[in-house]
Amino acid sequence: MGSAVSQSLAGRLILLVEDEYVVAIDLAQSLEQLGAVIVGPAGSVEDALALIMAGPPIDAALLDVNLGSERVYPVADVLQARGVPYVFTTSYGNWIIPTPHSSAPWCEKPVNIAHLVRILSSLPTAAKGA
Amino acid sequence: MHDIEQELSNVSAGSTGPSSDALLRPLLESNIGFAILAMTPSGIVTVWNAGAERLLGYRETEIVGKSVDLIFTPEDRAAGVPQAERNTALANGRAADERWHVRRDGSRFWADGVLLPLANREAGFIKIVQDLTERQITQQRLKESEELFRLLATNIPQLVFRTKPTGERTWGSPQWEIFTGRSVRTSTGMGWLEAVHPDDRELTVMKWLEAQRTGEYYVEHRIQRFDDGEYRWHQTRAKPIGDGEAAEDWVGTSTDVHDMRRLREAQEVLVAELQHRTRNLLAIVQSIERRTLRASKSLEEFGTEFEGRLSALGRVQGMLSRTSHVSVDLRELILAELEAHGEGIENRDHVTIEGPPIALPPASAQTLALALHELTTNALKYGALTYADGKLSITWKTEPDKRQLVLLWCERGIQLSLGRPERRGYGLELIERALPYQFHAETEVEFAADGLKCRISAQLPAEDSMDG
Repeated sequence: MGSAVSQSLAGRLILLVEDEYVVAIDLAQSLEQLGAVIVGPAGSVEDALALIMAGPPIDAALLDVNLGSERVYPVADVLQARGVPYVFTTSYGNWIIPTPHSSAPWCEKPVNIAHLVRILSSLPTAAKGA
Repeated sequence: MHDIEQELSNVSAGSTGPSSDALLRPLLESNIGFAILAMTPSGIVTVWNAGAERLLGYRETEIVGKSVDLIFTPEDRAAGVPQAERNTALANGRAADERWHVRRDGSRFWADGVLLPLANREAGFIKIVQDLTERQITQQRLKESEELFRLLATNIPQLVFRTKPTGERTWGSPQWEIFTGRSVRTSTGMGWLEAVHPDDRELTVMKWLEAQRTGEYYVEHRIQRFDDGEYRWHQTRAKPIGDGEAAEDWVGTSTDVHDMRRLREAQEVLVAELQHRTRNLLAIVQSIERRTLRASKSLEEFGTEFEGRLSALGRVQGMLSRTSHVSVDLRELILAELEAHGEGIENRDHVTIEGPPIALPPASAQTLALALHELTTNALKYGALTYADGKLSITWKTEPDKRQLVLLWCERGIQLSLGRPERRGYGLELIERALPYQFHAETEVEFAADGLKCRISAQLPAEDSMDG
């Protein structure tokens, strides 16, 4: 990962939703090392929505599809409405992602950080303040 | 047969004797498919055509002048059948001759024949005989094969039907009536379609159009069971009987594949679930690897730490697979961890493990196993288990409602003069942060003077809602 890649994440606020603590902390640290500012991590839909409502406007989000007994889609719905781009992480493959979100980019678990960073860097800029 | 009988009657009607022979001869010669013979009133053969030679084996020269009784069976001869037949023919103008006849070589065949008196009664009779053995065997076989069909069709579990190539039914087996509660009468034509699920009817009919082109019918559709009204998946097939061109009669079966389909769907879910669990586990392994790598001062340290953590993860996975990923017993989890380090039940002086049976959901068990591994490793390196008089007690209880678990990890008998270690161990991080993050557990860690004290309080899910 060259500095050009790191530059693209520098200062960007990224919401991280992942229910497995060990994985969440690792992803957070990996992205922080590349200059991103992590919002969260949140382990449930409720916590994630609270962060979106309360926190500063976020630039992008990384959403784990399967959060224990619930799915992350309510969070994606809110982000879509606000024009915030998001990337799914899933251990099922993308066939599980339903229609309103099926065109969103996604990453297989275990996440390849370099691949994830390429996806995050290519996301359109969020319509801040929406 | 009747045509020949008619022609012969016409010829014989005008005949008064041998003069008719000229007329009779071509007729006899042209009908070699039949044995045609003439005889005197007493049954002495006078005429014997090629058909008779072929069928009965005697040449004309051999038999003319001999008694026709030769071609009757000994039993019939003894019973006076030949004469009785002639008497009947004289009385009624004809006598049916349906009986076994005997060839020259002694073999028998079933004959369908007729005996006609000539107009000139003095001239005797004409007899026409056809071998019916083949036809009779064929008919017998047909009868047997139809019986076999009925037997099969009415005794196999499948619903059997006969149909036109259009799907219009002509017959349904008793199983169809029992399963659908619809009589054969109401099911004939397209009436059977009423038993098919409304959503599947269009496909079911469409497939019949296809079948007329391909010569084979196949569809999977739901058929309603009369007993409980359940629509059950069936595989319905039909094919024309024989391979005749444009066969009009088709036979089909409907096989109940409902349970098989359910199993297949369940299996697909299982495979997806397995894929999900495997990838999740790999994600955890990857994260632990990176975490261990960041905290390690040397490759040796990384190797030891990572291997230990991987083993702890492996142990809890093993327990989960033994219980089909339903739950893990807390005591078993703790014992396995201690035993992996050579501690445990045989080390009663040092270690106390006490508490009621607790079924941990898979995800909690995994994180708790990692935390327990770190605590045990620390206790062995710096804590109670390094001291001769050190004590470790792991005790737990459930609060009155049984859903609140309180676990205490308590080390005693050491001199912890240094207070809280400067570097926060992974174990402490898992307890202080991972358990609250994932399970809303409340945790307290205290570095007391005589050793580490740790309290974990967590809500247990209702048993039917455990979800990994």
